[in-house]
Amino acid sequence: MATSKRSLGSLITRNRIWESIFRQGYPSSDENRARIMFNSWFLHLHPVKVKSHTLEIGYTLGLGVISFVLFSVLVITGAWLMFFYAPSVERAYTDIQTLHNTIAFGALMRNMHRWAAHLMVLFVFLHMCRVFFTGSYKRPREFNWVVGVILWVVTLLLSFTGYLLPWDQLSFWAITVSTNIVGAFPLIGDKIRLLMLGAADTGPEALVRFYALHIAVLPLVMGALIGVHFWRIRKDGGISSPTEKNENESREVTQ
Amino acid sequence: MRGENQVFPKDPAKTYGLMELVKGTSPMVDKGPEDTVMAWPNLLILEIVVTLGTVVVLLIMSLLFNAPLREPANPGVTENPAKAAWYFLNLQELLLHMSAALAGLIIPVLVIVGLMAIPYVDRSKSDVGVWFASKKGKRIAAFSGIYTGIILIALILFDEFIRVRSIINQPEAVPGWIIPIVVIGGLCFLLYVIIRKWQPTRREVLVGFFSAFFVCYFVLILTSLFFRGYGMHLTLPWHLPPGAIPF
Repeated sequence: MATSKRSLGSLITRNRIWESIFRQGYPSSDENRARIMFNSWFLHLHPVKVKSHTLEIGYTLGLGVISFVLFSVLVITGAWLMFFYAPSVERAYTDIQTLHNTIAFGALMRNMHRWAAHLMVLFVFLHMCRVFFTGSYKRPREFNWVVGVILWVVTLLLSFTGYLLPWDQLSFWAITVSTNIVGAFPLIGDKIRLLMLGAADTGPEALVRFYALHIAVLPLVMGALIGVHFWRIRKDGGISSPTEKNENESREVTQ
Repeated sequence: MRGENQVFPKDPAKTYGLMELVKGTSPMVDKGPEDTVMAWPNLLILEIVVTLGTVVVLLIMSLLFNAPLREPANPGVTENPAKAAWYFLNLQELLLHMSAALAGLIIPVLVIVGLMAIPYVDRSKSDVGVWFASKKGKRIAAFSGIYTGIILIALILFDEFIRVRSIINQPEAVPGWIIPIVVIGGLCFLLYVIIRKWQPTRREVLVGFFSAFFVCYFVLILTSLFFRGYGMHLTLPWHLPPGAIPF
C-alpha cells in the first residue's frame, strides 16, 4: 500500500527489518488482531477469541496468572542471585550477607525472591481451590487438574529446596526437622533421608543436592509442566464456563 | 440471552429460501448465539494489569520487609522451637498428635492421591462453572467448614491440656495410630452422614469434604505458626519466644 505520509511511525514500521519481525500491521482491525495471535510466539498460546465469561474477574480471580507471574519473577531474580552465591558451607552464609550489605540491589532482589516464593506457594494453592470450587476440573479437563496438582507439589518442593540455601539457623533446623519426619517412616525412612541429604546429617552434601534440585532439576520440571498445563487449557476449550453443561459431550473440544 | 445456550427456532414472520445445497452441517447448528470477544485487546489488557499489579505489590513488600537471615547454621545449637517452613507446618502440627509415618507420609499421600482422583469420582457436567455447585452446595461448604474448624480447634486444645498420651500411652500403636485413625475416620463419616441429610449430588458431597480440607490446611498452619512456642507447646502469639515465627 503506497502512502504519501512519511511520518516517524511509517519510517520505523515500513522497512524490511520491521516487517521480518512483525508480520501484520498494528492490531486495530479484527483481521490483524487475529493474525497477531498466530504470528507471535509470545501470544500463540492464546486463542484468537475467548468466551466473555473468561474475562470475569470474580470467576477466575486472576489466581493462575498471578501464580505464573510470580514464577517468572522467581526465575529472573533467581538467576540474578546465582551470580553472587556459591553452595558451599564455607561461603553460602557470607555470600548472603555480602548480597544484603554491599551488592547494589542485592537486598531488594533477595527480598523479591523470598516473598515471591512464599506468595507463589499461597497463590498456587488458592488457584487450586478456585478450580475445585467452580467445578472446572470436569470433563474434558480431568487430566489438566491432575497436572495442576503435580504443579502444586513441585511448587512446594522448589520452595523447600530453596529454604536451605541461606545456611542460617532458620533454614538448617527447618530442613533437619523436615528430613527427620521422613527418617521416621518405617522401613524406607532412613534410605529416603539419606538420598535427600547425601549423608547422615544436614551438611555440605545436602546443600549441594538441594542447590542442584533448586536451580536445575525442579525448574525444568516446573517449566515443562507449566507448558503442558497452558497448552491443555487451549486444547480443552479455554477457561471453564457454565454454558458448557449443555454442550454435546461426544464433540471433541478444540479452540 | 447471554449465558443461555439457546437454539435458533424457525421464525414464522420470515420467509426462507433455498440459496445453495451443501453437504454437512453449519457450525452453529444446535448452538446458541456466540458469546466471544477478541483476545486482543480484551484478554491481554487484563493479563497486563494483573501482571503489573502483582509486580508492584511484590516490589512494595520487598522494599518494606527484609527476608530473614538468622545466625549461621550451627548443628550444635538447637533452635527452640525448631519449625519447618510455614507451608509444612500443618504436617508438623499433625506430627504432635500421631505417629510420624501417619502424619508425614500416609496422610499427605492420601491427600495428593485424593485430590487427583476428584475428576474421576465426580463425572457429571451439570454444574460446571458454578461456584460451590449450587445454593445447597454453598450451605454444605459453610457447614462443613465451621464443623471442621470447631472440632479441629477442640481436638488441638484437648491434646495439649488433657493429652491423649496421659490417658493411654502403651502400646505405642494406640496413641500413634489407632486413636488418630479412629478419630479422623469417625469425624469424616459423621460429616458424611450429616451432609447426606441435604440429599446432595456427588459434587456437593465433594464440595463439603474439600471445604473441610481447606479449613484443616489453614487452621493447622496458623496454629503451628502463631500459637506454638517453646517445645512446640501452645501459647499466645504475644508470648511467643523471639524467632518462633519463621519469617
